[in-house]
Amino acid sequence: MSFCRHAALRATRLVLRQVQTPQITETRNIKRWVAPVLKQLKRRMDQVGPEAPTPRSSYLEWNYEAEIFAFGKRLREEFDRKVLKQALTHRSYVTREEDKAKEKGLEFETIECNHQLIKQGGALISQCVRNELGGKYPKDVVEALHGHLTTVDMLAHVGLHLGLKDIVQTAEFPVENETLADTFKAVVAALEVSQGQERVQLFVKDFLLSQLNGKDVYDVWAPDSPLDYLRSLLPKQEIESRLCNKSAVNTILANYQVGLYCNKKLLGLGWGESVEIAKDTAALDAIQRLSYGK
Amino acid sequence: MSNSHLFLKSGFIRTPSQNGVGRYVCQLQRVVLKFCKNNGSSRGMRDFIESGLVDFAKNNPGIVVYLKPRRHRTAVISAEYLNGDKQYINCRNFAKEEIIKWLNLLKTQSGNTTGFRYRKLLHTDHPSIQGPWTPYTFKDPAENLAKFPDQDLSRPKHLPKTATEELLELFQRSSLGSPEGKRAE
Repeated sequence: MSFCRHAALRATRLVLRQVQTPQITETRNIKRWVAPVLKQLKRRMDQVGPEAPTPRSSYLEWNYEAEIFAFGKRLREEFDRKVLKQALTHRSYVTREEDKAKEKGLEFETIECNHQLIKQGGALISQCVRNELGGKYPKDVVEALHGHLTTVDMLAHVGLHLGLKDIVQTAEFPVENETLADTFKAVVAALEVSQGQERVQLFVKDFLLSQLNGKDVYDVWAPDSPLDYLRSLLPKQEIESRLCNKSAVNTILANYQVGLYCNKKLLGLGWGESVEIAKDTAALDAIQRLSYGK
Repeated sequence: MSNSHLFLKSGFIRTPSQNGVGRYVCQLQRVVLKFCKNNGSSRGMRDFIESGLVDFAKNNPGIVVYLKPRRHRTAVISAEYLNGDKQYINCRNFAKEEIIKWLNLLKTQSGNTTGFRYRKLLHTDHPSIQGPWTPYTFKDPAENLAKFPDQDLSRPKHLPKTATEELLELFQRSSLGSPEGKRAE
């Protein structure tokens, strides 16, 4: 038996030897094809141009529910999830989804958009800002600060740093500042619905009013004619302006120092390249000292 | 600062959007852990996912954590910040502890600071409380009442005293010059 098997093996070997096997020669050399391929790929990539940015929500690793959950936790607020979702959904998104469903011939479940919440939120923000600043500054200053804080750019800046940019549901990409500002307003309204007025006040104070940190009120607000404004602040009192110092008169570096006095008490000091300008800066200084109670 | 740091972007420490003035918001918004399920180089990452990830997610509910298994590729942490920055950390052959350390760094940063040189480790918007110097800052109040031309105020301040002046002063100080000395005569 063993002989037979041996003979058979020998026969197959002989047969195999006669078959022409393709010669594969393994050589370990520098791979000369790598560089040309990479060059060609680079050339084609340059021809096509840079890749257009895509919204984060189109990535594979994206979970909207988790993002919404984290949004509330990040700000340490308990949002009603349904209202928050509504606050983040813009009308453009709803119409786009509707069109998509129509094209495919599917039934469209209406999604609520944040149109109403934006209005509510805007009013809420204004109210909170005025409440917070009203006790500390005169009315004109409060209005100026309110205007500064509720500009589209400011609200969009705050909204961006709360992480709204990625979770906003809107048709446009990249998201515009106006949309971000509107979303921030809507989020404030959503907070009011979920937690009430008190939390909203805190929220606006922490995130919006904190933007005034390190900023001088008088950088934001300046009256057109400070001297007249000062006179309106101190009715029935005579304000006397005196030239305290002057230097380099009749040169390009001329400067004057003017002091404003009332009953021989100094109200404010100001500098300027002419007496008139110095008077105005002195009046600004006086207004500042009056409102700070220096 | 070495030569290689000359062309790095440089600047001062800053806080995004007054963070912490009102409420502190963790600036890391999202982290994606990419790893291979059977390659040895992702072993530490797998260990972390098995034993440390749940704690991490529980302690930081404001950070969304994604896991992305992919075959035969190095483990990577990809972090995204609120200001739009992205940061990749190559975690090839990292131990579990190292990954915990890196994640801790990411969640305490305000943005991607790699390739950024701090000019100073402190910064203030108001370097001077007193304000800038003006020609009137240290002015002697006596000058307000002086009538010009004034001989004393017109002479240069840095000139030394003349011999005559010194003699006069000596005379004033002596018994002859002082009023008491005159009375004694």
